[in-house]
Amino acid sequence: MKAFMQRTTWITWVTFLEAIRQRFFAFLIVLGGAMVLSSVAFRFMDFGHGELKFVADFGFGGMFLFGSVLGVVMTAQLFFSEIDNRTALTLLAKPVSRAEFLLGKFFGTWLVLAIFVFVLSGLLGAVLWSRSIELNELAEKMGRLAPEFSPGGLVAFALLQWLRLGVVIAIVLTIASGARTFLYAVVVGALAVVAGQLQWIAQDVLLKPEGSVWYRGVLWVTSRLLPNLEQFNIGDALVLDPTSVPANAVVQVAISGLIYMVAFLMLGTALFRRREI
Amino acid sequence: MTSAAISVRHLTKDFRVGLRGLKLRAVDDLTLEVPRGQVYGLLGPNGCGKSTTLKIILGLVTATAGEISILGQTYATAEARRRTGFLPEAPYFHKFLSGRELVRYCARLSGVAPTQLDQAVEEALTLTAMTEAAGRPIGTYSKGMLQRIGLAQAIVHDPELVILDEPTAGVDPVGSVAIGRMIQEMRSRGKTIVLCSHLLGQVEQVCDRVAIMDRGKLVLEGRVEEVLSRRDRHVITVESLTPAARAAAEAALAAHGAKVTSVTHPRRSLEDLFQELVKGSRDA
Repeated sequence: MKAFMQRTTWITWVTFLEAIRQRFFAFLIVLGGAMVLSSVAFRFMDFGHGELKFVADFGFGGMFLFGSVLGVVMTAQLFFSEIDNRTALTLLAKPVSRAEFLLGKFFGTWLVLAIFVFVLSGLLGAVLWSRSIELNELAEKMGRLAPEFSPGGLVAFALLQWLRLGVVIAIVLTIASGARTFLYAVVVGALAVVAGQLQWIAQDVLLKPEGSVWYRGVLWVTSRLLPNLEQFNIGDALVLDPTSVPANAVVQVAISGLIYMVAFLMLGTALFRRREI
Repeated sequence: MTSAAISVRHLTKDFRVGLRGLKLRAVDDLTLEVPRGQVYGLLGPNGCGKSTTLKIILGLVTATAGEISILGQTYATAEARRRTGFLPEAPYFHKFLSGRELVRYCARLSGVAPTQLDQAVEEALTLTAMTEAAGRPIGTYSKGMLQRIGLAQAIVHDPELVILDEPTAGVDPVGSVAIGRMIQEMRSRGKTIVLCSHLLGQVEQVCDRVAIMDRGKLVLEGRVEEVLSRRDRHVITVESLTPAARAAAEAALAAHGAKVTSVTHPRRSLEDLFQELVKGSRDA
């Protein structure tokens, strides 16, 4: 077990070094950061919501969009660079198991996305904090209720987003393990993320006793096979109104994410074991 | 358990190609044994199944039929792979790592103990003459250096069996000779080496045994001297052969039922000539 952990850690570290050097990562983190910071400039377009909510939604949107793109493309790219460049041939001819290889890829990519999520969350936190101070002073002067901002809620949200991206990486690695080309893995991975984002619709429909058995069967399988990625998007509630989120909701979402992550990694390993390098 | 380093029996590998799943036979009923402590040459034209055979031996590809044994294990277990070093054809490594970092990384993956790591890495770099360039990123290496650092990562954990797939591909003749010397050095240390190469001259020089494959089948196998020597022909090298001496010799041989089939001047190989000239110019 110790050797398993050590080999996985080494592959994780080299994957992380490879990923962090990619221009694509630098480009998206700069773009995401710019989007978070520019939210202040667009706050007049708040469509009747509170200013902090608009800024938070804008930032969460950037994190979600660019994080998903990074999670899908970078995971597939890091996996196929090893296969296409045949570095996997060198590694897997050593006493490295397919599970260690796949887990190394997973943790290396997940580590890079941790940087992405926590840097953007830090920026968003700074923007929300500075605006909340100004708005609190204004509210005091006008005798209105001051808007709430919870740094602890932001940390919880960042952790949930990181977990969501972990599920995305696990899904893409599973697809890549059985895919022949990078493009296939990216397209199917992106579709799986979109389907996961819409999975709650299948769950909603399933609650209504309508439709044929076949239709309900498909919905049942879909709603179990794909994780509900929408459930991770409780950011504005956690950050701006933490009391509205039940105490066990975050834990339940986290457990559900972890279960899907482990399940997809196990499926990916099983597929990768059958793959000829 | 067999005493051979590698034993392959009736190995067959089919690949499915295209949407209709047409069967392409890459290896066809191959049987061979690689004895321990020898350099074994696996030869054949491109696409003859050499690399596929090596991949099956290393557990990277599954066989359709047949059995393999590697270092006494019935398949390429983690233990067997720990005792094996592999240099793939046209190796590619992470460009951002330095040569030393790559060898260190591979040593850790191969189970070299942390206390022995530095020594093992430096020994591998020294044997492959990569000590000076070891601090540079791999992205700056020439083809020859890539092959040598590939060799270093293959031997850093002191394996019993070293499998080299085209170690001299893209390397200039001087570099090829250096790699040949490294192979001989490894043999002198008791390693078993399997060498796939198109450089037949080098294979002839360094290998103890050779197997020649064509279209997935084994067409010839044996000791190098045995397979190359023509038992029905003899060579006599003579100095100062005058026409009269030649006629007398032919008459004497004919009297005993022998026939002279050709009289030529001995040639040296282009490789020998090249080595002599290049080495001479570099020494100067």
